Amino acid sequence: MARDYDHLFKLLIIGDSGVGKSSLLLRFSDNTFTGNYITTIGVDFKIKTVSIDGQKIKLQIWDTAGQERFRTITSTYYRGTHGVIVVYDVTNGESFANVKRWLHEIEQNCDVVNRVLVGNKNDSPEIKVVLTEDAQRFADTMNIQLFETSAKDNLNVEEMFMAVTKLVVRSKLEMKERQSVTQNDTVNLRKTNKSGKKRCC
Amino acid sequence: MGSRLREDAKHFFECFCEVVPPTNDKNAWIIQQFPEKYKDNEVLKAVPNFAYPYKFENNVIQHYSFVLTDLESKWTFGFCRHDPKSETAIVVLSYLPWHQAFYKFLDTTAVLMHSPRSDDLQDFLSSIYNARIADPGRNFIVSFNRGESVFSVEVPRPFQLPSIPENRNLTEYYNAVDINNMIVVFASMLFERRIVFTSKKLKRLSACVQSANDIIYPMNWQHIFIPVLPMTLQDYLLAPMPFLIGVPEEVFHNVRRSEIGDVVILDADANTVESPFDDIDNLPQEVVGSLKKQLRNKSALLGDGVSRAFLRALVQLIGGYRDALSFKLGEKVTFDEARFIETRPASLQPFLRKMLHLQIFQQFIEERLAMLNNGLGFSDEFEMEACRYSEKASSKLKQQYKDWTSSMKKEGTAFFKSVKEKANPAMKSAVKTVKDGGKGMKSAYKGLKSKLKENQPQQPKSAPNSPTGKRRTVPGFSLPGATYRKEMQSFKTAGIESRYSPLYLSSQPVSPDTRDGSRSGSPSLVIPPIDLMSEMKDYFKLNTPPVDRSLKPVRSLENFKSTSSPITSPDHWMFPARSGAPMASPPNRLFLQNLNAQETQNLLQSPDDVFLSPPSVPPRGGPPPKDLFGTEPFVIGGGHAENGDPLFYVANQHSVDIVKLSPPTCSPRRKTTLKFKNIHLKMKSSKVRVFLQSCCVFKLKTITSFLFYVHDYHRVNRLKSLCNQDIDHFMHACIFH
Repeated sequence: MARDYDHLFKLLIIGDSGVGKSSLLLRFSDNTFTGNYITTIGVDFKIKTVSIDGQKIKLQIWDTAGQERFRTITSTYYRGTHGVIVVYDVTNGESFANVKRWLHEIEQNCDVVNRVLVGNKNDSPEIKVVLTEDAQRFADTMNIQLFETSAKDNLNVEEMFMAVTKLVVRSKLEMKERQSVTQNDTVNLRKTNKSGKKRCC
Repeated sequence: MGSRLREDAKHFFECFCEVVPPTNDKNAWIIQQFPEKYKDNEVLKAVPNFAYPYKFENNVIQHYSFVLTDLESKWTFGFCRHDPKSETAIVVLSYLPWHQAFYKFLDTTAVLMHSPRSDDLQDFLSSIYNARIADPGRNFIVSFNRGESVFSVEVPRPFQLPSIPENRNLTEYYNAVDINNMIVVFASMLFERRIVFTSKKLKRLSACVQSANDIIYPMNWQHIFIPVLPMTLQDYLLAPMPFLIGVPEEVFHNVRRSEIGDVVILDADANTVESPFDDIDNLPQEVVGSLKKQLRNKSALLGDGVSRAFLRALVQLIGGYRDALSFKLGEKVTFDEARFIETRPASLQPFLRKMLHLQIFQQFIEERLAMLNNGLGFSDEFEMEACRYSEKASSKLKQQYKDWTSSMKKEGTAFFKSVKEKANPAMKSAVKTVKDGGKGMKSAYKGLKSKLKENQPQQPKSAPNSPTGKRRTVPGFSLPGATYRKEMQSFKTAGIESRYSPLYLSSQPVSPDTRDGSRSGSPSLVIPPIDLMSEMKDYFKLNTPPVDRSLKPVRSLENFKSTSSPITSPDHWMFPARSGAPMASPPNRLFLQNLNAQETQNLLQSPDDVFLSPPSVPPRGGPPPKDLFGTEPFVIGGGHAENGDPLFYVANQHSVDIVKLSPPTCSPRRKTTLKFKNIHLKMKSSKVRVFLQSCCVFKLKTITSFLFYVHDYHRVNRLKSLCNQDIDHFMHACIFH
């Protein structure tokens, strides 16, 4: 059966429950009709096919329940993914503290290059507690992009997902290039990594 | 927290459903449920799917379980019964993982469904639903059928290791999957792989998945956990993160393997495992070796042999986590990862480094820390096994110690000599600061703290007159713990059985005041939480010479026995000088070495018997003591500082002091003189419990003896209840009347 896409990427969305991960996914995904399995098996995913530079990219974005119970989300969790969308709620300082800790863990123990930081619920300035400047400063130190979004008002959501998609596409191409360079320059004694996918950790 | 079980189960079950199988044009659906008020629609929508995960023919009665995971990642168990004679399946949802009990419940329900009296089923369900769940180890008994029948199941004890054949899940797993494959799965779980179990039989499938999780106790699988995956959810096998999923063979056939990627696959029918990884080879081989050895002994595998073998493997790997717990002043107990690695044998270190990055391990640590920080003592099968392990590992060392002691006895050498305050003027003044500020404890303590700060080992300004400025660099000195701990635990296992259940602190600490109105006026001091141990640690690291670490307080106590100089002042306190007090009256109980296991057991298990005929106590003048510990100082414990120096915990009224015994010099004198530096840290008696607990948690290895001296008989029991768990931990508390 012919594939209906050129690339398949698996992404993770992480953040406390209540920060609006599901709403972001619903905004973005194609399959809004499916059930809400996160409440029954603790995991859910949404699919979206987008087109970048003429290539069809299929994205699976995975979410799991109860992440806020983890002080750190350890590297094994990210092992099979191509990119991570890290979400906090701009009206909830604790959710920001959690993602800061998690991002530090990723920085230290995973090779995930593809991360974006997302401040969701950015639609009620009067109750916003995580200031843009603070979040931006943090994002800069971690060398990642920050998006402030509102799933409710559909602000910046598309842009954020496209940015992350571009990141994973770019790193896949880079990986391919690196591999072909290696293959040309040296005799490879071992088989190259299966399908050359850039995976975390 | 590590556990994924809900702790707020109020009912035996949450909902009972009868499910009609799917037809060609209709999905499975719930025809009736109890109670009607159960309204979790997402769950109710999911149940038919799990009751009929795929179209299957059934010609025997089959029980299996499935698991639903809620938004908090907590589990709800679904127990399911298919009967070829019945057109429908019955399902019961519960927060309780009691497989045997619920299969029995379903069998009873099935019978009642065919009862000619139509309200029998409803009555039964309603009585069970409304009955209070019995305590662990007791029977949950509900009568039904108009009082003619009784439903009775035993409520499992917490921390009970699954046994063969009592535990149906483990028995099934053990029968279906051979030992080597069980070890492969175990290893895969310790690498948090994506793991698929498959079988034609739902019963076998769910049992194996549940058991695989049971076997990593005290850890819990933290990732996706779906013991039975319905056909409709097959796409979830594409999940990129770790999972443990039971996939009915019918469903697995439908899945394109190439899409799933790297997974470990256990076929429970064929007893085969496929794994793209070398996880077993990457486990420490000594662990795999001893695991295989234990599991090869087939005759020992009945009962909890299988569970225990895996538990021991985990003890070998992570049992030493306590060595890496640390206290910081005014902060919560924390886990020091670097220390955890350093204190383990070199052969384990590479794997343990990886282990730090396992969610299952992180959550295990979080759970234990949470219990400690909430003041909950705990002693479960894991901790007990860890003690046994240390004991075994240290038996060789113990022999050496024995030899050493006997030779030392012959020589009659005195071990301790006071170096006194000379060693460290800063210490002296610090003590003074504290003493002077006896009333303004808070500020005095601050003074002490800042003094200590000045002497931070990191700062290269050790006291000029300290003879051993570089001693912190003495190899091996930073890790003196292991040996003491082993020593300690050898006492522990001397013949005392411990209880498993975690200690839930009574919300109100038992204090004398609550029982005796006349004491209500007893003064108390309020102080911020004090971290005695780490404070002391800094101290000892700082300015104490290397000592022979085989010097144990136990040993030193024997020396005290022979001396009996009168007590002078509390700050210059001499150990044996309790003015002829009971300390010396029953010497065979005072000194642990002289205690045989039987005696210790008696002491601990039936304190009442012990105190029926108390040793004679010299009459005391003056009014009865006003506080739990009495008016006069006495030793409640002893141990070693980080560097091996002996120290003691001395309880005064409302306070516990840490008393440091100065290290021996190189020229032992015949007559032992013992002097203490007395750091006075006051705490309320209600804090004492916390203190004791921290001692026990923080440094099992530090404490080698633990003595209680109590003035009156009633207080003994109060003290017992106050530090019940601690006594169990120390195992050899000596209680005097």
